[in-house]
Amino acid sequence: MSVGPSALLQCFARGFGTCQREGARAVEIISTQGLTKYYGKTRGIEDLSLSVPAGAVYGFLGPNGSGKTTTIRCLLGMLKPTSGEASILGQKVTLDGSDVRRHVGYVAGEVRLYERETGRWHLDYAAGFRGGKGVLTDDLVERFEFDPSKKVKELSKGNKQKLALILAMTHDPDLLILDEPTSGLDPLNQETVYQVIDERIAAGRTVFLSSHVLSEVERVCDRVGIIRAGHLVAEENVEDLLGKRLRHLEVRFGEPTAPSFLADLSGVDAVTAVSDVTLAARVKGDVVDDVLKRIAGRRVADITIQQAGLEDVFLEFYRSDGQIEESVAESAGEGEVP
Amino acid sequence: MFWFCTGLVLYSWLMTWFYPKIGGGQYADLIESMPPEVLQIFGGTEVAFDSLGGYFQTEYLGLMWMIIVSAAVVLFAARSFAGEIGAGTMEFLLAQPISRARVAVTRIVAFLGYVLLLAVASFVPIQALGPMYGIDLGAGTFWTLFAFGALFMLAVGGPAMLLSSVYRDAGKPGAITAGALLLLWIADLVSNFSEAAKFFDPVNLVTYWQPGKIINGDPVAPAGWWIYGAVGVVSLVAAIIVFSRRDVA
Repeated sequence: MSVGPSALLQCFARGFGTCQREGARAVEIISTQGLTKYYGKTRGIEDLSLSVPAGAVYGFLGPNGSGKTTTIRCLLGMLKPTSGEASILGQKVTLDGSDVRRHVGYVAGEVRLYERETGRWHLDYAAGFRGGKGVLTDDLVERFEFDPSKKVKELSKGNKQKLALILAMTHDPDLLILDEPTSGLDPLNQETVYQVIDERIAAGRTVFLSSHVLSEVERVCDRVGIIRAGHLVAEENVEDLLGKRLRHLEVRFGEPTAPSFLADLSGVDAVTAVSDVTLAARVKGDVVDDVLKRIAGRRVADITIQQAGLEDVFLEFYRSDGQIEESVAESAGEGEVP
Repeated sequence: MFWFCTGLVLYSWLMTWFYPKIGGGQYADLIESMPPEVLQIFGGTEVAFDSLGGYFQTEYLGLMWMIIVSAAVVLFAARSFAGEIGAGTMEFLLAQPISRARVAVTRIVAFLGYVLLLAVASFVPIQALGPMYGIDLGAGTFWTLFAFGALFMLAVGGPAMLLSSVYRDAGKPGAITAGALLLLWIADLVSNFSEAAKFFDPVNLVTYWQPGKIINGDPVAPAGWWIYGAVGVVSLVAAIIVFSRRDVA
């Protein structure tokens, strides 16, 4: 369910957490319909339709060149879509959507700030557009152990990233759009970012997080969209994705068993003989019951069924007719596309 | 910005200071001994060399000043949009709640301020220090020189600003504007030798820049005001429109 701008503006005033508690559930904070962007003849994204509900941490997954940054820039009104449209907080995104951006904090994939200016200057500069100092500025500066007196050109990559994160979050925006937010950060600061995201979500905010760091997505996201070659190929809850899609199976039988014993089962592939009596395989989809029934036909000494990590699921989506290399090469060939 | 302004102040002061030493009849004899082709390059021959205007046009304002202020305004204008987009800082700026039109207008106001600063640095030293060296432009002449000089910079920087709103890095707008200026200057030079080449003069920005005549009290051709004003204003308005509609990342 999407709601109109006036209802959303009421939510701004009261906070989305309150709004949701009062029943305005499933408010769409981000919505795109058929969003398409071409750079001349080069494809950026194509017919991309997604929806991000209020209070969600939406992970936007895809390799370099798949169209993640293009999507984000279209959402922020930095790029004009070739066709289709996007809306944020109930308002259609336009190239001049400054009102919408008042409620959005953004960390770019490649942080580039005014090199000759200090962190403090940037914080004051951003505050000038948003009607005063951010409510979270001091807290974030302290938690990230950031020194705002240094000029940007003197900062390391990690410290520039910290500054970008502080700038994005300092005004406690309703929507955080984070493009590779932990890039260049050490594990401690990565954890701080995750904690801050958790806190923002608890406060009723929404996060759209683009990443190819799967552990990160697994750690913080509750819903994920997977983009491949400019197309959204899947959009699911992380738990569902992890739970039903892919499992690793290893069975030790009580007698020698050839891979062909499992290989003909639908949804089972990559069957290998670990030893004369042990088979390993990959199980895709809701076929566990069939697999277990087949296995039960022989004496089983041991069995392990392990849920695949998001990385395996992710790679599965990028497998093109079993040839993952082709998909990766395709994406790599789009290096010029943001 | 600082160095261009400081350089112009010092250059203007130097030329004012040198006038009593090398200006006047002796200077005219020296200049007139040069081949006319060389004089044309420095913007001479259309004003009397033994006059104050002839001295300033040949020694300073005819060519050197044009080169210095053109470099200054083109560099500034080329960086205004394209430079920020290329550096990536425009992405940070446009992530803030600010409209594109406001960003564009802010850049243009800064550009106009810079043009005024350059005009002050160029002409105020001549007017202020002139009496110490026997130079008196007079208020009317000073303001005409100031206003027309500023308008010349606007006409040169405006197209650079427009190109800056189109491209993604500052190099191309700077190079294209500089190349176009060079062609205009060559066209002006050629038209001094060839009647057949004069057809381009009515729209040539360089042709209208005759500071020697202004200093000697001649009025500026109305077409000069119009051409400079129109090129400057149209370019800047177009820059706002283009920037408001383009992809910025």
